[in-house]
Amino acid sequence: MTPSFDDFVAEQVTPLLRYATVLTCDPHLAQDVVQEVLLRAQQKWDRIGSVDLPHAYVKRMVTNEFLSWRRRRAAKDVALSMTTLESVTPPVADKTHHYDEREAMLQRIAKLPRKQRAAVVLRYYENYDDSEIAQMLGCAEGTVRSHISRALATLRMEHTPEPAGVGSRLGEGLS
Amino acid sequence: MNDTEQRIKEALGLLAERTPHPGPTLNALRRKRKRQRNNIFLIATAGMAAVVVLIFAGVVASDRYAPPNPNDAGAALVVEQPSRLPLKYAPHWLPEGYGEVYRGLLDGERAYVPAGAQGYPFTNGGPLTRIFKSKAKPDTTGWDEVSVRGLKAWIHTQQGQSPGLTAELVWEAQDWLHVTVRGTDDVRQTATRVAESVRADAKVAHTPPFTLNGQEATEVWGSSPGDWGAQFKKDPLVVQVSTRSPGITGTPVTVRGTQGIQADGAVAVLDGSVWVTVQGAASVEELVKTANDVQLASTPDTSWIGRGM
Repeated sequence: MTPSFDDFVAEQVTPLLRYATVLTCDPHLAQDVVQEVLLRAQQKWDRIGSVDLPHAYVKRMVTNEFLSWRRRRAAKDVALSMTTLESVTPPVADKTHHYDEREAMLQRIAKLPRKQRAAVVLRYYENYDDSEIAQMLGCAEGTVRSHISRALATLRMEHTPEPAGVGSRLGEGLS
Repeated sequence: MNDTEQRIKEALGLLAERTPHPGPTLNALRRKRKRQRNNIFLIATAGMAAVVVLIFAGVVASDRYAPPNPNDAGAALVVEQPSRLPLKYAPHWLPEGYGEVYRGLLDGERAYVPAGAQGYPFTNGGPLTRIFKSKAKPDTTGWDEVSVRGLKAWIHTQQGQSPGLTAELVWEAQDWLHVTVRGTDDVRQTATRVAESVRADAKVAHTPPFTLNGQEATEVWGSSPGDWGAQFKKDPLVVQVSTRSPGITGTPVTVRGTQGIQADGAVAVLDGSVWVTVQGAASVEELVKTANDVQLASTPDTSWIGRGM
């Protein structure tokens, strides 16, 4: 039986927002992307609702929207910043010693070319294999491997110890 | 899995924790779906009306066709284009009964006053709540440090033109955001509550009331959807389109293919239901040319004026 669009949204909006947030590195953009996609999905719900896995279909729409959105907005794109993230979700104190390193890694991921970033998210966040990523991105498996290899090379190359000052800047948002 | 891959996983997990609450997305979705439904109804109604008008016009005009006059005021009407200056930020809480009366599109300004307030109360010291953004942090020396949704913020109150205190609150989100409140019992508390409710989810794309050589009006205000004004400044000229008369008296001059008024440093003309006024230190010819270049929206979007949340 085809689920109603409203039921689908109630169930999937948070997972979609979570995926879009990780994909875009920007909670505001994630909200915009998910809104746009759900609006379009609603218009075609008769068809989308009847496929085997509607959430997978809509997730792919989110991916495509992110890729095309980024192209449209490339000229005025705003790089990831702590303030962008914290303006939507207040920071929570993190006492682990990895915190700064994770933040630094996040900054580097946010700077990756969009397809590389999408491939990295699908591999390391969604745990997809090459063929699933290829299907999601609409490219060959070899291209997926190339995207991930280049992304890893970039992230590894830039992976250097953070200066001591970074921690104090993060601390500002927690006061 | 090597160290880099582990770090990537941890970083993405950290990012996922920052997923925004679905509330604003669901609200925006609801609003857009409602608008779409309304649009479908309007398009259907407009389509039927157009068919009737075309049939009638065809019958009436078939025996009295005249070529269009390029100087005709109607030639300056344009097909509506959505604004290129969307309003990004919106409050999701306002004092009870407040409605929107002003939009400044360059700095995302939105101003709200109590429903039923007459005239343009946001300029005369009456109760007012407004938000706007800036690129830089204002001078907050002597302001109290507070927090807005966990972010550092600064607030101060002062005795301004309002009978009571005015509170101003600033904090940094993607931009520096400002909330100004006057005319409520506790302006500080109201400003804080409004600020806490501000989200970057507005994406209001309205149809600008007019454009000048492709540049759209940057300020729109009014007391109701039928009582509004819009402005665009292009140094040294100020162009206004308004449902209110500009109150200019002077000598006749031809503007937009009809008779307008020329006064010292200004020309004005009534075009349909709106006045087009151009003022500034320029020759009459330049003022007239600018007025002629103004392109009016046939159905300006002023439905938001006076409306609350």
